[in-house]
Amino acid sequence: MELPSKINNNEKSLQQGISPSGNGGLISNSKLTALVVDSDRICQILEKAILESQGVETQVVGSGRDALDLLASGATFNLIIIAMVLPIMNGVETTRQIRAMGIRSKMLGVTACSYEREKQAFLDAGVDEFIEKPLTPQKLASIMREMRNA
Amino acid sequence: MDGVVQLQRQLLDYTALLFQEGFLNDQFTQLQQLQDETNPDFVVEVVSLFFEDSERLLNELANTLDQQSIDFRKVDSHVHQLKGSSSSIGAQRVQNVCIAFRNFCDAQNTEGCLKCLQQVKNEYSLVKNKLETLFKLEQQILAAGGSIPM
Repeated sequence: MELPSKINNNEKSLQQGISPSGNGGLISNSKLTALVVDSDRICQILEKAILESQGVETQVVGSGRDALDLLASGATFNLIIIAMVLPIMNGVETTRQIRAMGIRSKMLGVTACSYEREKQAFLDAGVDEFIEKPLTPQKLASIMREMRNA
Repeated sequence: MDGVVQLQRQLLDYTALLFQEGFLNDQFTQLQQLQDETNPDFVVEVVSLFFEDSERLLNELANTLDQQSIDFRKVDSHVHQLKGSSSSIGAQRVQNVCIAFRNFCDAQNTEGCLKCLQQVKNEYSLVKNKLETLFKLEQQILAAGGSIPM
């Protein structure tokens, strides 16, 4: 299966800060990409606006299923922002399945609720970080700084 | 130009008051800062979505709480959504009632939930009114040839 390993090599390169095209360029000079997985229209618009205002090329999907299909088709992202509450397949389960595909992108779990048990479930499923909605430009900027310096 | 300056002063004072009285918080400022030439109606668009979503959710809450046997999980899900969207636009007082509302849901306290429903309806109505006044002021400034002060 050529496709999944292509995704993994890309992700590996990105993590090492090397451009996947192999020209040796540092990630800090290339555009970061993000996927927003959220069924809430307001969050979709807000998160996309915050990401784009910081120069991140952003795609938005409204369900876990759509996210998995997009990733399976070969699309790669530096950052995946995923809501806990999603139709049919929730964010925790979607995260598990994304990680099971071997995808190493930075994943940020977001939720409007603040219960400790939910936070732990999200972290256990594989998100790198968890924040309470709403996403703010400051929070995103600090995440991006980390990613560019990684 | 005197008229424009007066209107601008009025807008700034009105906005400051809304923050002082806790109707809006810093998240609203973030929305305003995301608005620019490429996204000139961003704030109005996001707030309009908030109005639509809130009205739908408040209706659904009223229906759900009106049943003989209340489905508290459904109530919780609606309140969760309302908390999320109110926090996304910075509607602090609505968000605060949602927090209390969820606690009553957890405890399956019907009376508490009904009280919160009334409270959240009131707070929503107030913030809607105030935001519409704010937008009207902005429109007046623009119509008079001025620009929105930040």
